[in-house]
Amino acid sequence: MESLQSKAKELIKDASVAVIIGYAAGTKKGKTKPFFAYSEEDCEKLIFTPECVNNLTIYLTRKFDFMKKGKVAIVAKGCDIKTINVLIQENQLKRDDVVILGVSCEGVVDKDVILDRAELTADLPEDKKSIKCITCDVNTPSDFDHLFGEGVESKAIEPMTGGIYDEVDKVRGMAQGEKWNFWMEHFERCIKCYACKKVCPLCYCDVCITEKNQPQWIETSAHERGNYAWNIKRAMDLSGRCTFCGECDRVCPAEIPLNLLNQEMAKLNYEAFDGYRAGYQTEEKPPFVSFKEDDDEGFIR
Amino acid sequence: MSRVGVFVCHCGTNISATVDVAKVAEEMKNQPGVVYTEDYKFMCSSPGQGKLKEIIDEHKLDSVVIAACSPHMHEKTFRNAAEAAGLNSFKVEMANIREQCSWVHPDKAEGTVKSLDLTKKMIEKVRLNEELDKIVMPVTKKALVIGGGIAGIQAALDIAAAGTEVIIVEKDVTLGGHMIQLSETFPTLDCSQCIMTPKMVEASLNPNITIYTYAEVEALDGYVGNFRARIRRKAKSVVEEDCTGCGICQEKCPKKVDNPFEMGHGKSKAIAVPFPQAVPNVPVIDRDSCIYYKTGKCRICEKVCGPKCIDFDQQDEIVNVDIGAIVVATGYDTMPLDRFGEYGYGKYKDVIDGLTFERMASAAGFTEGEMKRPSDGKTPETVVFIQCVGSRDESKGVSYCSKICCMYSAKQTMLYKHKVHHGKAHVFYMDIRAGGKNYEEFVRRAIEEDDANYIRGRVSRVYEKGDKLIVKGADTLSGRPVTIEADMVVLATAMTARKGADKLAQTLGISYDRYNFFSESHPKLRPVETNTAGIFLAGACQAPKDVPETVAQASAAASKVLGLLSQETLKREPITAEVNEANCIACFDCLNICPYGAITSKGITDRDGNIIKEVAEVNPGVCQGCGLCNAACRSKTIELRGFKDNQIYAEINSLAV
Amino acid sequence: MSEEKVENKEVWTPRIIAYVCNWCTYGGADLAGTSRKTYDASVRVIKLPCTGRIDPLFLLKAFERGADSILVSGCHPGDCHYNTGNYHSRRRWTAFRDLLEFSGIDMRRIHFSWISAAEAVKWVDVVNDVSEKTKELGPYTEFQRINEKIKEYDGIFAEQG
Repeated sequence: MESLQSKAKELIKDASVAVIIGYAAGTKKGKTKPFFAYSEEDCEKLIFTPECVNNLTIYLTRKFDFMKKGKVAIVAKGCDIKTINVLIQENQLKRDDVVILGVSCEGVVDKDVILDRAELTADLPEDKKSIKCITCDVNTPSDFDHLFGEGVESKAIEPMTGGIYDEVDKVRGMAQGEKWNFWMEHFERCIKCYACKKVCPLCYCDVCITEKNQPQWIETSAHERGNYAWNIKRAMDLSGRCTFCGECDRVCPAEIPLNLLNQEMAKLNYEAFDGYRAGYQTEEKPPFVSFKEDDDEGFIR
Repeated sequence: MSRVGVFVCHCGTNISATVDVAKVAEEMKNQPGVVYTEDYKFMCSSPGQGKLKEIIDEHKLDSVVIAACSPHMHEKTFRNAAEAAGLNSFKVEMANIREQCSWVHPDKAEGTVKSLDLTKKMIEKVRLNEELDKIVMPVTKKALVIGGGIAGIQAALDIAAAGTEVIIVEKDVTLGGHMIQLSETFPTLDCSQCIMTPKMVEASLNPNITIYTYAEVEALDGYVGNFRARIRRKAKSVVEEDCTGCGICQEKCPKKVDNPFEMGHGKSKAIAVPFPQAVPNVPVIDRDSCIYYKTGKCRICEKVCGPKCIDFDQQDEIVNVDIGAIVVATGYDTMPLDRFGEYGYGKYKDVIDGLTFERMASAAGFTEGEMKRPSDGKTPETVVFIQCVGSRDESKGVSYCSKICCMYSAKQTMLYKHKVHHGKAHVFYMDIRAGGKNYEEFVRRAIEEDDANYIRGRVSRVYEKGDKLIVKGADTLSGRPVTIEADMVVLATAMTARKGADKLAQTLGISYDRYNFFSESHPKLRPVETNTAGIFLAGACQAPKDVPETVAQASAAASKVLGLLSQETLKREPITAEVNEANCIACFDCLNICPYGAITSKGITDRDGNIIKEVAEVNPGVCQGCGLCNAACRSKTIELRGFKDNQIYAEINSLAV
Repeated sequence: MSEEKVENKEVWTPRIIAYVCNWCTYGGADLAGTSRKTYDASVRVIKLPCTGRIDPLFLLKAFERGADSILVSGCHPGDCHYNTGNYHSRRRWTAFRDLLEFSGIDMRRIHFSWISAAEAVKWVDVVNDVSEKTKELGPYTEFQRINEKIKEYDGIFAEQG
């Protein structure tokens, strides 16, 4: 990681960026934390290890003030760059306003795993990897200004298979009543803390629909009716946009399997709209602001 | 608290027979916000409307629900009546208890329950209706016609005849389009130049018509009644105002070039008009061919020019024009023939297309009207005409019928026969489509009087043998193969949309079909309108058409333009989208999804003029009120007036069990 | 409808909410009336300018508020008054239907159709078919059970002040 640190220092030194958004060792053993380096000294704390799970691109959004500070550099994994692409696509970010310090990544740890420090190496056992890493095909970032780490070739995968998509298929295979009960059991636990929304880099509205009561589309009480509406609305709004960073699922204190909902939508978009996958490019219009005259309409009579 | 009045109409017995109207009126009294209810025999009658006005006034109603027929029937009536009583017309809603209730549900109990629901639903909505003002827009009384062919000229002449100013933008050097290229026209065989040239001159002399040739529309802003077009007048290298059209420059110019007007057969010069009757009769220097532009030497034209109007340094000029309406009349192209190798076009000089034949047959054309085949100038004794080259050919061409080829092939056989009396014309056809006044008779004349041999079938191959072209095909009526030794082959190529028509459509914000022909608003009832208000279509840019149809459509488009421009102001429903600028985060899903381009990005500035934030902005003149943006907006920051989220929510809520 | 009335009624009648566009399907429904065709009275129409205005939230809210079935109907492809509104809504529905199905909504209760202003017969057929199917299925109890549960909670809270 020396090269990351030295490049970071260089950027700070020649004032090409105002801040570097990256990772540093966490206060808790086996965890890392988001870290903002403003000085060369700060830069020495920057690390990149399999514990660096956070999708830091949230700090590029209007939820934080970093972009107002001037040009910003960010340490980004291949999966994080997908989010950057969507932010660019949605006019929330200009590519030129950010220096991407791309890091090659063979996977980050699962949300339920705390790695012992001794294990802190590049190769992370498969069973300890986050579920999103199983279907990752951007181990080497697709876009970056500087690349760190090497020798990681992006895996060729069959999109929308394996990993979370096997879980998605399992739910797909359930009977209707079974699905309803499955989700109601989960949604019953939702406490409307909105951590899912807070952590999501693509939930960047200034005033969220949940904060509006004229009309009250999403009921504020944490009961199944309002919880269902909220979770469905959230999944729908991320449809064709979610890049599967898995942050919502990771932070949910009620352990609602949000990845399932989001990746069902991702799979649907892939299947229904010409293999569309969010975050792989910045030019194409997203599926819900475009159409094809011959889009499938088998369900319409 | 609102003050809603509810009026339940009997509609004679149309409603009251199957809906207990008295009960509906009675029960609505209990609805929150309702201060007055009544059932009445005929609400739309004069006394009914009078009553409405009276009660609005007497009970100080701030909104009204009329439970009666469909809003499609009488919404305007009641809105006008309410407005006359001083109520904002958008504070009136109708509950459709006739078309969608009393007439379709014979059971009175069911009908009454449904009427109660529908009326209640509209009460809930109307309480949230906002007072809206009709949008009043000024009208710029000037029109723009894009394209100076027969369609554009006709439209411009008709508009100008009404005293309205009109600008013609033509991308070529002269007016005339394809029609001026034609020799004679069907079904009368009158000379195209003889009928076209006077129209071109008339257009140029009309004080209401401004003509920009060698010019293109680059951008269009605004909306119906208030467009602004950016026109690029390409540098002609000749000062148009000073040129007398004497032609000496063209005569003395040493550089010969192919003449596209003659389909590449005749020669022209690097400074030239395409043909002597060009309007305006001002030559243009082709900078790609001109010796001076290539070598820096020559300037002969400058030396010989009497009025000294050659300007080698002339730059393109950008002209911005404000107009109220636009006629698009950009015409057609013919399909490139490189994909039809079997016919030998491009390989054999004597395989020509229909337009080349027109120039050959024209007295002013490259053979001065004599039938001389391109390869050796011999008079062709046998000519084969092949129809449907590219048309009705899904695999290699287009699936539509180009409509004019049957007629012009028949015409060309006649023109040929009239010039080469001993010659023989053969026509390979799929079907003869001669629908039109005197069209079938015309084709019969070609066959019966001028001895054209019509063979139903396709040509499989054309190849050279000696100085002959061997045409191999099949006669599908007799089922026999046919071989003809021809001296010349004429291909009736498909009409296609202009190259770049899609780009122009995007510039103008009109829609186009999969062949890049511009789309009319309705195939039957709005054939000259586009879906963009204020932009109309004329001629073959919409679909293949012959001259009479083109002229008719051009006049129709002109009358639409005049109807529009005859108004002092335009009023339209204020059902448009509005943005809450404080909350907008400029993701621009609305901008991307808007079918009309009504949404743009706007910078919000601080006191010092620095842009601090970007938001979406709706142009209410362009917005048509579909509400796509409202549904697409994740945070409901853009909303459609008249159908806002809280209104729809209230409707849904009112139906709760 | 207040609760009493539901109880007073001997037979349950389905509650169907139809979201239709102003130009095509609403016109078709009007034409059914003008042509005096009769059909099942359980449908309640909410008129929008275009199917493109229909937000997935409308459909969710309808179920929350006790709808037994939902019908969404607009102009045939190519006929949209706003050129492309129905193409965009078709995409939105494709995803939203999938999400509803994935989350366990009974998809037999949500119907989509293209009905032009001339297709009065189709409107009648579709509405009759939707109500018939809904009657076969009976009330949509899954949402209603939640609603009852919430009412209970509300009662408890009310007691506790």
